[in-house]
Amino acid sequence: MSELGVGRPTKRRPGAAVGGLPVADPRPVLDGAGADAAVVGLRCTQCRYPVPQRRIPWCPVCYGSVAEARFATTGIAWSSTVVQIAVGGRKPPFALAYLDLDDGPRVLVHLAEPAVVPIGTRLRITGTDDGDLVAEVAA
Amino acid sequence: MTGVMLWGVGTSQYRLQPEKRVEELAWTAIAEAVADAGIQPWQIEAIVVGTVFGPPGVATRVQRGLGLPGVPMWTVENACASGTSAYHEAVEAVRRGRFGCVLVLGVDQMSTLFSGAIVPEATDPEGASSLPLPGLYALQAQRYMQEFGVTPEQLAAIAVKNKRNGLDNPRAQLRDKAPTIEEVLSSRMIAEPLTFLQCCPTTDGAGAVIVGRERNNPNDLRIEASAMVSGALWDHRSPDVWGYASVARAAEQAYEQAGRSPAEIDVLEVHDAFTIGEIITLEALGLAPRGKGAELAPSGHTARDGAQPVNPSGGLLSRGHPLGGTGTAQIAEIAWQLRGTAGARQVARHRVGLVETMGGGAAGMDGNACVVTILSVP
Ligand SMILES: [Zn+2]
Repeated sequence: MSELGVGRPTKRRPGAAVGGLPVADPRPVLDGAGADAAVVGLRCTQCRYPVPQRRIPWCPVCYGSVAEARFATTGIAWSSTVVQIAVGGRKPPFALAYLDLDDGPRVLVHLAEPAVVPIGTRLRITGTDDGDLVAEVAA
Repeated sequence: MTGVMLWGVGTSQYRLQPEKRVEELAWTAIAEAVADAGIQPWQIEAIVVGTVFGPPGVATRVQRGLGLPGVPMWTVENACASGTSAYHEAVEAVRRGRFGCVLVLGVDQMSTLFSGAIVPEATDPEGASSLPLPGLYALQAQRYMQEFGVTPEQLAAIAVKNKRNGLDNPRAQLRDKAPTIEEVLSSRMIAEPLTFLQCCPTTDGAGAVIVGRERNNPNDLRIEASAMVSGALWDHRSPDVWGYASVARAAEQAYEQAGRSPAEIDVLEVHDAFTIGEIITLEALGLAPRGKGAELAPSGHTARDGAQPVNPSGGLLSRGHPLGGTGTAQIAEIAWQLRGTAGARQVARHRVGLVETMGGGAAGMDGNACVVTILSVP
């Protein structure tokens, strides 16, 4: 914090990374490894809408019931950027991309290499880093 | 919509002012708005407060200094659209006859929470993955550049235009100098392609607006339309970049209420937290077709002396962005422009004005909320 705050009361935001208390992890989950790896979430039993999160009450598109689903770890980049500022515990530079999983939802991933990739680039989620999905350009 | 008028506006300075109590920012804005409306404090029948970071109870601590015991009061939070969401509720309440005079307050004090960029919300899936707000906008900018051939220079032109406008705004945070395109592009990279000078600064401030029923006061402005929409799913099916659809939904409602087309708007204040935001917003507001919004600033169309000036105040890029305190400051600027009292910032044609605020950041939604309001000289 700046010198301005010295000697005065301070406020805190949620999140252990910024000095607050831990919260339940809201991020998409990668389950399994290698050929069995999948992003787990929910899919509508009526319209097949895929959701990269758990415990939603019904399909937000058609109100149908949802069931657990395993999504491909591959897909195409919708867009990407390289962040050049520190964010929470993340040190720059680090790259982020929206990845449209094959027959699955759009998820935010970290890229293994800190570089922008062309839209439409095929990516594969290869693991996690401190709970964040990590993807690389598919060979 | 008939019969709802804007009676008065007021704002604090928009600065880093952590030495002040947040209530002090609010009282400064409210006192100016009450005087501007030509009313006595006890004529206020209800209070609606828009704030993101509060703190909790800030509305009551503000109220304690106003001497309005027991009046109905709400605090609303819709991210960056909190102030205009509060305004929208006040307008609706007057339109439906519930109250005759409502005080709207938008306020946030960012400097006591963040020393730099806003720390992403830890309970959000993307916030927890360290996606900062400039990163979210940078992802849209990258998509735009690759899909439509938008150039870094076109992005930078927004910052140059708005920061030049802000030089004439005594209440704006950034007033040192207007950068060139080259200076914007060579400033520190925040999230590619957005550089430091393409990001709005962290700011503390408050704006107040008083809306009421028709009363034959020549200072009043007619509220032709006010539309507020919440977010909708933004996902792999969406044809547009993030944010576009929520602004378009609110704009469609507002134009229909006012019975106006985009070409009839003389002057606009829109949400330019990041340069790409102004481009996407102006397309969603119908000032340019999709993919062509980046041409509006370089061509001079949105310059202060252009056909449709956008952000004559300097926008968020100059004024700064105390989230809840932004929407009411935008409305104040349009009120001053429409009355012809904007001084060095005054635009030539000022009969019809539009304010747009889009708040976002919740993962997978095309916005948390968007408000579009259209005002005119009666
Ligand atoms: Zn469904």
